[in-house]
Amino acid sequence: MGSTLRYIVGRLALYVLTIYVSATLIFIIPRLVPGDPLTIYYDQLREAGAIRGTAEMIDEYRKMFGLDKDILTQYFSFLYQLIRGELGYSITQFPTKVSDLIMRALPWSIGLLSVTTIISWLLGTLIGAIAGWFRESKASQILATSALFLSTIPYYILAIILIFVFAYTLRLFPASGGHSPGITPGLSFTFIQNVLWHSFLPALSILLSSLTWWLLSMRAMISTIKGEDFVIMAEAKGLQRSKIMWSYAIRNAILPQATGLALSMSRIFAGALITEVIFGYPGLGTLIVTAIRSVDYFLIQGTVLLSIVAVATANLFIELLYPLIDPRIRYRGS
Amino acid sequence: MSFITIKKLKFIEPSIKKAFKNRIFLTGFSLYMILVIACIIGSMITPRSLTIVGAVEPMLPPSNKHPLGTDILGRDILAQLYISTINSSKIGLIAALIGTFVGSFIGFVSGYYGKSLDFSLRILIDVFLSVPSLLFLVLISALVRVVTIEMMALLIAAFSWPWPARQVRAQVLSLKEREFVYLAKLSGEGGPEIIIRELMPHLIPWMIANFVNAYLVAILTEAGLSILGLGPQMDITLGIMLWWALSHAAIFRGLWWWWTPPIILLIYSFFTLYLIQIGLTEIINPRAKVM
Repeated sequence: MGSTLRYIVGRLALYVLTIYVSATLIFIIPRLVPGDPLTIYYDQLREAGAIRGTAEMIDEYRKMFGLDKDILTQYFSFLYQLIRGELGYSITQFPTKVSDLIMRALPWSIGLLSVTTIISWLLGTLIGAIAGWFRESKASQILATSALFLSTIPYYILAIILIFVFAYTLRLFPASGGHSPGITPGLSFTFIQNVLWHSFLPALSILLSSLTWWLLSMRAMISTIKGEDFVIMAEAKGLQRSKIMWSYAIRNAILPQATGLALSMSRIFAGALITEVIFGYPGLGTLIVTAIRSVDYFLIQGTVLLSIVAVATANLFIELLYPLIDPRIRYRGS
Repeated sequence: MSFITIKKLKFIEPSIKKAFKNRIFLTGFSLYMILVIACIIGSMITPRSLTIVGAVEPMLPPSNKHPLGTDILGRDILAQLYISTINSSKIGLIAALIGTFVGSFIGFVSGYYGKSLDFSLRILIDVFLSVPSLLFLVLISALVRVVTIEMMALLIAAFSWPWPARQVRAQVLSLKEREFVYLAKLSGEGGPEIIIRELMPHLIPWMIANFVNAYLVAILTEAGLSILGLGPQMDITLGIMLWWALSHAAIFRGLWWWWTPPIILLIYSFFTLYLIQIGLTEIINPRAKVM
């Protein structure tokens, strides 16, 4: 029992530490860049022709955001706000709250990534299981080789190829955007249809690149298990092959796959960074990149922290739950 | 000094021999090397001035004079490809060398010396492993404005050490309980000597595998960052070429000779490097049949 407790405490400590270190880095890194976001904003206003009163306005803003205080005060108030779950206001899109911007982008990322992740996991695991069970067959080997080849193509290159094929050559799907500009967002049939039509290519690129991964890992696991003693024993006992496959092989292989699924689901909160930018998709990934490009301190802190906390939390749950689900694994101390 | 070198070479030799006997490794290695050498030769016989904006007539389709055509800014594409490939592999090389070296060093120290040193290093490794590196790389490269190949490589290297560190540490933990390490200790060898002369030879294959992995990931990461427009701004890499092409809507203008070559070379590099990786995995763990 002592080692169990030590394991749990250790994991919890690591969880808190990871988030703390990341939060500190997110606080420090943007502030290493010369000039704060308001100076950049000021320059933009001046270029646009605004002269009178802008300097005073910027000073007023700086006071309001607390950027006139010294760095340590800023840091501690940042940590204090973080504990309270307060993300503050966006600097570049002022009176909008960071949490509002996140809530606006989140449904796009959740919609796109949860659907594609689940479909690709189900398909990949199923096909991988069958391919692993019949690993000696020619079809299975061809499938594995082509999946292996496909998996070496990075997802962003896959996205470019899909744009070329479906948006440029076949002209079937739009290359970018979340929905057509003229349509009013809402729960109407035309809007939903339009959104689905726009999300097809990003979805396909995510699906294809993750599918091969699930397929290959499941295939490898099933074929390893097939060679284990307990499966040979089951065959010798004369159990039905389908029963051996479902309740011996797949049951054992599903756990690591499920772990992977949980981790992938947690990454939804980071959005599909590069894919979203390539397709101009209005999700969290695009929001993060916009925030970083405009050096919007508070928006960067909010978006990046959200994704870090999500991944870290998923990791924590997996590590704490794993020994409960899989009796072969015990909590290890130290 | 020479004694140590000879002894070390003796240890490395068998793993190299083994590697070149492995068909998958050999295929991947020679195919990748052909690309790199071809690009080095190509860059030597092609005048560098062809890659400067406005050097030649823009948007020319492939012809005898420009085998792969020219881009919208009046640069020869083949000439750019040579330099880009070399630069991309340079980033891979620098990042992987630093990442593997630093990672292995931390792994050896942490695994061998143990105690409180191991405790703090392990926390460092774990924290860095659970931090989303791509996110931080985007953050840093967007804010710092990476300008050169070397800066990009250093940035990527900063996130590529934790994985080798964890692997080497795990190996060292099991190795240091073996008899030959005890024997070395009894015969008066100190910590650094044991690490270099007793433990390192056993871990060379692991370190090479980690190196190849870090190399591949570095090129992958650099291309991804560059496509976002966050790559080294003073140089060209395959990712930067792709970024130029995408930001000038090369796909929709039908300038296929501009955006396809970097894509093909990236896929080719990843595929051949992946073969090297599979080959190495088979050598280290002969029971793991990947193909």
